[in-house]
Amino acid sequence: MTPIIAVDQLRVRLGKREILKGISCRLGASGVGRAIGLLGPNGAGKSTLIQTLLGFHRPAAGTAQILGLDCHRQTLAVKTRIGYMPENDSLIADMTAVAFLRLMGELSGLPAPAALEKAHETLFHVGLGEARYRKVGTYSLGMRQMAKLAQAIIHGPELVILDEPTNGLDPAARQRMLVLIRQMKEQHGMNVLLCSHLLPDVEQVCDEVVILKDGQIVHQCDLAAERQANLRFVQLHVSGSDRRFDAALREVGAEGASEAPGVWRVVLPAGIEVEVLWQLTARENLRITKLAYRRDTLEEIFLKAMGHLPASPRPEVAHGRL
Amino acid sequence: MAVFKRGYERYDGPLTGAVTRFLAVPRFVWPRLLAERFVLVLLLVSLFWPLLCAIFIYLSNHANLLPNLNEGGDAIQKLLRIDGRFFATFMNIQSTFAIILAAVAGPGLIAPDLANNALPLYFSRPVSLASYIGARLVVLFGLLSLVTLLPGLFVFGLQASLAGSSWLAGHWTLGQGMLLGFLLYILLLSLVALACSAYVKWRVVAGALVLGFFFVLAGAAQIVNQVFRVEWGSLLSPGYTIYTIWCALLGVETAADAPDAGECLAAVLVLLGALLAVLLRKLRPVEVVS
Repeated sequence: MTPIIAVDQLRVRLGKREILKGISCRLGASGVGRAIGLLGPNGAGKSTLIQTLLGFHRPAAGTAQILGLDCHRQTLAVKTRIGYMPENDSLIADMTAVAFLRLMGELSGLPAPAALEKAHETLFHVGLGEARYRKVGTYSLGMRQMAKLAQAIIHGPELVILDEPTNGLDPAARQRMLVLIRQMKEQHGMNVLLCSHLLPDVEQVCDEVVILKDGQIVHQCDLAAERQANLRFVQLHVSGSDRRFDAALREVGAEGASEAPGVWRVVLPAGIEVEVLWQLTARENLRITKLAYRRDTLEEIFLKAMGHLPASPRPEVAHGRL
Repeated sequence: MAVFKRGYERYDGPLTGAVTRFLAVPRFVWPRLLAERFVLVLLLVSLFWPLLCAIFIYLSNHANLLPNLNEGGDAIQKLLRIDGRFFATFMNIQSTFAIILAAVAGPGLIAPDLANNALPLYFSRPVSLASYIGARLVVLFGLLSLVTLLPGLFVFGLQASLAGSSWLAGHWTLGQGMLLGFLLYILLLSLVALACSAYVKWRVVAGALVLGFFFVLAGAAQIVNQVFRVEWGSLLSPGYTIYTIWCALLGVETAADAPDAGECLAAVLVLLGALLAVLLRKLRPVEVVS
């Protein structure tokens, strides 16, 4: 199946600085609505990657493809199949929302009657139906974000690139935005590339995550698989001497790592139930003070990728399959 | 079904071609420009001079209706003659209205996109830089044609119809010259307006810059000529160079020691190239900070 985004040894220079340093990845699969999160600290190269995918920057080396089309050589063909919501305020202020969306629709290739129809439809969809005849310049920040989302999806693109879509939104509007993004992939089969600093947003919406640091991919994982795997991921607080607990865990085929004195993170292999931990701790004269199923939050994954947390004990981590 | 009940569905119909997409911007902008009162008033005012010229053409072709004119001798006959000089004067005066119209309408085409950071919205769609600039050139071409080409062709057509086919056979080059001259002028004026609009984000300032472009350069040309006691300084003045080209196209003699039409055409081409370079430099979807 053709990946939504395929990047191979991509290098991008802006001036004398190399921003993307030979990154390679294959993300998503066409025909399946999936959301891909793009994470990284400031200056990691997220925006440059997005802009290269949009054809704004010429790669110094390597290739970037969207839906099997080269972003640099087949840029117009790529752009008919994607929608882009920029991070910054980016609107035509002295137009009504309907006129603005209609123009954007027509520029994307919609016939004039269809563009008008879709403009109304999309504005109602994002919750701007009642304000659609107001000039976009009079909109509040939250409404502008929704208008930006509307212009990105009016032509029903296969891939929607969202750059910080929840910036400046109040909690209710943020939730509404996330619901819309989820609907885009689940109900309308669109693929979403979501670039955000807000890890809970990415965690809530995305199926895959790519983490960039200093122009390189430091981590790539399938969040859906991660969620399933982490059902057997246990955090244990014990009191007593736990020096031999690690060896005890190995005896039953489990793996554990001490995160802090008395705090263990244990991965239970298939077929081993939690009750085994009770038996082991009783045998080792340990008292469990707290036991919790927990999974790596995206924040932990992110911090680990950044090198601020020790890696999890599981061998899969080393292969990038958290 | 009411649109608010229908819900969002992805568009899966046929897409339009490149030409239709290209013409989307002109179709949106023309009605908005013509709805502006100042533009409308300016268009009306700019029609007075062609109207006067039309009356003059009528009189020159019906001199026998005014017996007193025939008594004036050669001087009056020469004055009433419809020749290259008449059309050069017509074009020269009409071009002033075109400058004002370009200063009013031109800056609204790019400056708001820059001020609102809207360029990424255009360039993330199947719109190339060439088609972005081209669409705006078409907008200005249509608007400026209303005060230059169309009145010019009307005046020429009126003269041809009143003077008869023998006059047309002998003077068709005037029509051709006017057409080419106005086309070159519209291209220059449109690029000046777009470049000023791309250079300054504020619409009013960009409009003032368009006006200033012609007057300041004309002044600079005079200063160069006076200080260095030369004639080539006139090449700096777009108004002068364009008028010289028009005169050459219409077969009107110009000062012998001044730059000729070929030199003026070269100067205009260099200017067009410089304006295009400004546009290409300023119109980028993202600003790269070095």
